[in-house]
Amino acid sequence: MDKIVLTIDNKRISCPPGTSILQAATQNDIKIPHLCYHPDLKPFGACRLCLVEDEQSGRLMASCVTPVAPDMTIQTDTPRIISHRRNIVRLMIAEHPESCIVCSKGNRCQLRWVAAQMGIGETNLYAMPNYKPLEQANPFIIRDLSKCILCGKCIRADHELVAVGAIDYNSRGFASRPATVHEQGLEQSNCTFCGTCVSLCPTGALSAKNSRYVGSPAEESFSICGFCGVGCSLAMGQSANKVIDVNPAHLTESVNKATLCVRGHFAHDFLNSRRRIIAPMMPKKGEGETLQMTPVAWDEALDQVAERLRHIRDESGPQSIAFVGSSKCSNEENYLFQKIARVLIGTNNVDNGGYVSGQFLSTILDQKTGGGCRPSPVSDLEKADVIVVLGADPNHSLPVVSYYLKRIAKNGVPLIVVDPRKTELVSFASLWLPVKPQTDLELINALAALLHETNAYDSEFIDHYAEGFSLFTYALSSLDVDKVCRMTGLEMKDLNATTALLEEKRLAFVIGHGILQQRYGTHTLGAILNLSLMTGSLGAEGAGIYILARENNQSGAMDMGTVPNLLPGRMPLAEDSARKTWEKNWGVKISPDPGLNLGRVIKAAESGQIKALYIMGENPLRSLPQPQRVKAALANLDFFVVQDILDSEIVKLADVVLPGAAASEKSGSFTNLEGRIQGFSPVVSPPGKAKPDWEILDLLAKRLGAAEAYGTVEKIREEIRHLVPAYADMNGRGPGWVKTSSPMAVFGAAGAREKISFSPVVSTADEPADSDYPFTAILGSLRYHLGSGTRTSASDRIREFDYGGEVDISVADADKLKLKDGDAVRIETRWGEIKRKIGRSNRIEPGQLFVPLAVNANDAMNLIDLNDLADPNTTGWKTCAAKITKV
Amino acid sequence: MNMKPPEIDWDRIHEIIEKHKGVKWGLIPLLQEVQEHTGYIPPESIELIAEAMNLYPSEVQGVITFYAGFALKPKGKYVLRVCRGTACHVKGGRSVLRLMQKELNLKEGETSSDYQFTLETVACLGACFLAPTMMINRDYFGKLSPTKVSSVLGEYQKK
Repeated sequence: MDKIVLTIDNKRISCPPGTSILQAATQNDIKIPHLCYHPDLKPFGACRLCLVEDEQSGRLMASCVTPVAPDMTIQTDTPRIISHRRNIVRLMIAEHPESCIVCSKGNRCQLRWVAAQMGIGETNLYAMPNYKPLEQANPFIIRDLSKCILCGKCIRADHELVAVGAIDYNSRGFASRPATVHEQGLEQSNCTFCGTCVSLCPTGALSAKNSRYVGSPAEESFSICGFCGVGCSLAMGQSANKVIDVNPAHLTESVNKATLCVRGHFAHDFLNSRRRIIAPMMPKKGEGETLQMTPVAWDEALDQVAERLRHIRDESGPQSIAFVGSSKCSNEENYLFQKIARVLIGTNNVDNGGYVSGQFLSTILDQKTGGGCRPSPVSDLEKADVIVVLGADPNHSLPVVSYYLKRIAKNGVPLIVVDPRKTELVSFASLWLPVKPQTDLELINALAALLHETNAYDSEFIDHYAEGFSLFTYALSSLDVDKVCRMTGLEMKDLNATTALLEEKRLAFVIGHGILQQRYGTHTLGAILNLSLMTGSLGAEGAGIYILARENNQSGAMDMGTVPNLLPGRMPLAEDSARKTWEKNWGVKISPDPGLNLGRVIKAAESGQIKALYIMGENPLRSLPQPQRVKAALANLDFFVVQDILDSEIVKLADVVLPGAAASEKSGSFTNLEGRIQGFSPVVSPPGKAKPDWEILDLLAKRLGAAEAYGTVEKIREEIRHLVPAYADMNGRGPGWVKTSSPMAVFGAAGAREKISFSPVVSTADEPADSDYPFTAILGSLRYHLGSGTRTSASDRIREFDYGGEVDISVADADKLKLKDGDAVRIETRWGEIKRKIGRSNRIEPGQLFVPLAVNANDAMNLIDLNDLADPNTTGWKTCAAKITKV
Repeated sequence: MNMKPPEIDWDRIHEIIEKHKGVKWGLIPLLQEVQEHTGYIPPESIELIAEAMNLYPSEVQGVITFYAGFALKPKGKYVLRVCRGTACHVKGGRSVLRLMQKELNLKEGETSSDYQFTLETVACLGACFLAPTMMINRDYFGKLSPTKVSSVLGEYQKK
């Protein structure tokens, strides 16, 4: 369309129709003061500060809500406008309490800034402060609504950005204030404490609560959040080398834009926890001849590690040593870590914490599509025809992804939620399929069969890119749909309604731990890939498979080869050509022996086969099932090194403890769930004698015989960029993307050179009911903790929130068992038991229990057994048969 | 005397919600019907209404609290609205209000403990020619004098 030409402050400007005067002015470096406008929110016209004057008509109008018109002549700072603006600010201040000196917003208060700009000190108006009680019963947000100027940013952020709806305006006129339902405190509302409103609030009405006085930040720098796999951009404020304030870094290229979640916003106070490890430690004999963890010098600790590892390798062979890296550490660190294992020690026994989340399941997709499922920005979901969310509750696990899903669903993209529980996402869904746990596979196969029956699939895509379709459809034709209904607990009409939504559409799948950690995870992912192929959903924008990585660098750690079966760049160790490439790169022979994954390492330590274990940034005592068994296995080791940031139970078992650094204390890069590689630099330096993890590994590598130390993180990065083609884009600064170069990954018009084969249709058997354990316990995460909760439990705010992890039970079952909210119960399975309080819930079906993870040192892991999650016949870690008794 | 507010007819409220469910712009008619039927909008119904109208509960509450015509607290069987407009004021509306406060032993905005009467004031009833005026539920009473107020109140107290 034609551009509109207008004049602002005597400057000729052209801009597309629909632009507001404020936007047009801002784009041309003309500054108009404003308080209620924010580029990510719909314009609202509440504060009236952005008044401008139309020269022709003499009208004053709010520039944020007035679109440009041809030949407009606008003035932005005539004496008349300035006088009006001054009056508006004077009125705001007359209603504002005189508490600037003690207000925690301090110099970041936009109202104060605007007033100062206009030279308003005394208002010379009758002061009418609108006192409201201070609300600070929760440990995250302080609400002092006497300072509210009714700009509506908090409400709009709540509705438009994070789509929670905890607050809205109440009443009218002078009494009008943002309020929760029934005007209760935020902690009693459905507020998720994402803190987005706090970062946007222009005054001191909303501010972050600190457990003690921290002052205002002296400096602010950008970093990347180290909690979940979204990889939000952060602006971290520091004072005296401590991170004291976290806000979303409002960068155009960030995933999160103006949003964050409760963990990213508030749980970073774990950085200043007293439980941080600040010096290398080794057990030494103290008073009374008992062994005590004693601080030692770096040289002593590292010499000991190198000497013992070398000794054990020479005595018992390299396969007696195992390495567990971290899905929280950077790409550079993981690369170096696995290089030490493979090159300097000579073992493939190297894994990372992503094992716990089932990240390795994505290898199936990599194998089939040559990495063609990546990378895909979450924002592309806007272009999806239909979004299917399977076994995922992103509202809790990856909140920023849930904001995207909710916003997109509100804009009319059909959302299908497949989950046994009525998750918060269900209220935004076009369809909710409450499948019985672990029956997603049956459902997916049935949907494929029904789509085939109605010929509503993309045969052109199949011809071009896939093979084995006839065999696949033959297998589908023998599918017993009645059996599927019986197993999934769905009715035929649900299946038909779903099929109707999927017909001739390209699908975007959002896959969570409900699939990755479940019993038939491998087969289910294969079935999802089949359905994607059949509907032509690969390689198109807004379609494909999104795997929700629970931890920040889960995909990156895998890309860097910190897994037993893959070399860097996800090249399969089993392939001779891949090994040859890396043998050439590194100039050593790489053992073809498949290494042990984390689960198997523990079992091998139990049997004495593994004698030494080096763990970086992972806590298997919290994250693996059967903690007692894991503890015994770790105690059975001859030599155990723990490199971590927080003191924990495993630190007590270690022979050497090396203090590492958190993301905000070092340089590096993370790869998020989309394949976005984001570099970051230190905001503060590590506490005490702690060092960045890459530096520790570099020092150790030198002692283990590496020819040359890297010395800087840039050098490691340079090597990765050079040797791993997928990471050619990696830089230390803004985002780069994981590149796909596989011939199968390219879905161009010519068709792929290699075709993707359909996976076999797997059918599962009915699970016999267990009369001793009549309930199905579903284990899952809640937003206040990440993963097993090591870091979030060290956050003062999260601890103060005192979230007890109540087990959800259906109201019907609770009535039958005469259980009231808050009753203490014992949950027992064949493997162990835990005690929790109970919460009656409408979000769960009878016969099921929902057990939140991460609380009470993640005791829920006692309920399941240590089976190998990577084994296709695994019984999974997601659900287990349980019984419940009142105590 | 301390009596409970009248029982809420939840079946009827569910019926009303069902009737307006998902209708575009249906929220205000729905709230009006609940208000009309129950005399107020029970706070417990906010979540049900929000779910049916696919809105956030906070939004529904925002609408209820915005309009003076909606109440979240139970009102008396008879709602008395005394006009405080200019014409009524000139004609002695203030003493009418004072007298009613005394007779009913209620302050502005209060409801009697037996849920018979609620005393309210309004900015203008639009019946200035009848000043000073008041309304009891849907009936107008004009040209009020102390004796007339007492007799009208007496009538309603007997009912």
